[in-house]
Amino acid sequence: MRSVDVARTALGNTFRSKLRTALTVVAIVIGSFTLTLTSGLGAGVNKYVDTVVGGFGGSSQMFVLSTGAADAEPTDGPAEYDPEAAASSGGMFGPGSGGGVLTDSDIETIEEIENVSAVDPMVFVSPDFIETPDGAQYDLELDVPANALGLELAAGDAPGDDGMELSIPEDWLTIFDTEDAEQVIGETVQIGISNVTGEQSTVEAEVVGVSEEALSGIGATPMPSRELNQQLNDLSMEGYEGQAQNAYTMAVVDVENIETNEQGVKDALVEEDLLGLTVEDQIGAVQGVIDAVSWVLSGFGLIALLAASFGIVNTLLMSVQERTREIGLMKALGMSSGKVFGLFSMEAVVIGILGSVIGVVLGLGAGLLGNAWLTGEGGPLGGVAGLTLFAVDPLAIIGITALIVFIAFLAGTLPAARAAKKDPIEALRYE
Amino acid sequence: MSTPVLETENLVKVYGKGATRFDALKGLTFEIHEGESVAIVGKSGSGKSTLMHLLALLDEPTSGVVALGGEPVTALKPKKVSQLRNDTFGFVFQQFFLNPNQTVLENITLPLKIAGVGKSERNRRGMEVLEQLDMADKAKNKATNLSGGQKQRACIARALVNNPTVLFADEPTGNLDTATSEIVEDILFGLHRDQGITLVVVTHDEDLAAKCQRRLMMQDGEIVTEEHGATGVHA
Repeated sequence: MRSVDVARTALGNTFRSKLRTALTVVAIVIGSFTLTLTSGLGAGVNKYVDTVVGGFGGSSQMFVLSTGAADAEPTDGPAEYDPEAAASSGGMFGPGSGGGVLTDSDIETIEEIENVSAVDPMVFVSPDFIETPDGAQYDLELDVPANALGLELAAGDAPGDDGMELSIPEDWLTIFDTEDAEQVIGETVQIGISNVTGEQSTVEAEVVGVSEEALSGIGATPMPSRELNQQLNDLSMEGYEGQAQNAYTMAVVDVENIETNEQGVKDALVEEDLLGLTVEDQIGAVQGVIDAVSWVLSGFGLIALLAASFGIVNTLLMSVQERTREIGLMKALGMSSGKVFGLFSMEAVVIGILGSVIGVVLGLGAGLLGNAWLTGEGGPLGGVAGLTLFAVDPLAIIGITALIVFIAFLAGTLPAARAAKKDPIEALRYE
Repeated sequence: MSTPVLETENLVKVYGKGATRFDALKGLTFEIHEGESVAIVGKSGSGKSTLMHLLALLDEPTSGVVALGGEPVTALKPKKVSQLRNDTFGFVFQQFFLNPNQTVLENITLPLKIAGVGKSERNRRGMEVLEQLDMADKAKNKATNLSGGQKQRACIARALVNNPTVLFADEPTGNLDTATSEIVEDILFGLHRDQGITLVVVTHDEDLAAKCQRRLMMQDGEIVTEEHGATGVHA
């Protein structure tokens, strides 16, 4: 019997008892629908995390923290006083979390590490207010310039390295009495900041962009350019008596050939009591959680499929029983046991293909429609810029279909083996 | 004499063991030559069906040999035996065993489909056989809509479609009325006479048996008598 005839016959036989086949297929559809939805959900959210976190820096970059900041190891009772650690803990210039900061000597040390091409120390500044052209003043908290790449812009550009620039979030448009993001581009604002002695001074900055709030929080506060940030920092340091010691919360380090040198640089940093984290290190944890959740959800889909596979076994066992004489006839007329097995396995595969295709199509439809509704204009999650809850991953879809067809085939082997084992004489006598 | 198409040597078939042991065949040795028509006659339980199953390679003997064209088949692999059945034999069953959901043409071309013949060639040869049996107009009908005689003719068409050397007919007229029986018998013996097909008929019907050239009378697993010469009308 030719393969094409086996396939055609199997297809024909599948539709012989339509209701029974339909019910079995429905069970598989539920499983494949669930799997498509959960994997699409995982892919969608991960894709979103990728784009958001992609903004935290190029892939050749590493974020370096003082180990004190990263390892806030809990101690039993009060920790022993360590003058060196206390000195490097930046006092009023620290990030406020009480962790370690990077000093100028740390930065020099990092610069000397092999394969490090550039070091960009980052400082947090705490300005007092922002003043609009009409003279109104508002509280101001600034983001760090290193996050600029992660900005989702509604209008204009991200603040650059040079120039006294900043971006403002979309909901700050009200302070300019406008709803049109384009209109505030080019507006000039004053930013006020106090130095260590409490004296206030102002700098002028230009609004170059309007940001949307991303799920990561980037874009929810105004973001200065590097130059503006540095200027503000310098102003805040004015009047500091004694040896002014710069303190940085972290440094962005460019590493040459990060794939090969990543571990080397990290090891060198550890020796200096510093911690290097790549973008992957940071998003890895987030995506790990998302993956875990989507795997758990997929687990439910697999359970549904497991139940459905028993449906296939049941359906085909009934079919084998009903067609005992037909099987006997085929064997008497010279069909080998192998081909009989193939024919019935093929019927299981046909059921599997039907169920998986219908389920995948329904799952994709539901996922894409749901995504459009939830994250679209006016949807419950419409306010989160760039959010995707569902993405089509062709590989995953092919994988799901293949998995279901394979499960269907496995389920079909028991009935098919039973059909193949039938003795033609007994089968032809069967009433 | 030519090589016998089928021969057996000391053919024994035993069912069960110990107290339930039943000797269905007790050492049969005979030959069937090409172009012969042979009737295996006996009451139910005489072992005639068992013998036919062994001859048709549907079952394996407990001991003894079945040879096809001078070659013993006992040692062959199941797959090879299946292929031999498909190539060499045609089967006509008392209960027809037609698939009610399929058309007559689909039903009768099943042996070709199993043999791996392409669809257009299958249909061509199927139509040829149907025309030969005056059934061409029923080709597209569902098998379930046929009368008893038509069903048996379809069954014969199926048996003939692969040009078999030997045609096995198991009570071919068992389910038919007298008039239809005669038509079917005419067809079978016509094939035997005109195409030289070897005919092995299993029956308890004396009239049908009488039309065969040779009759093997079976009783309790043994051939008790062997008669030669057709006594029927188609001598």
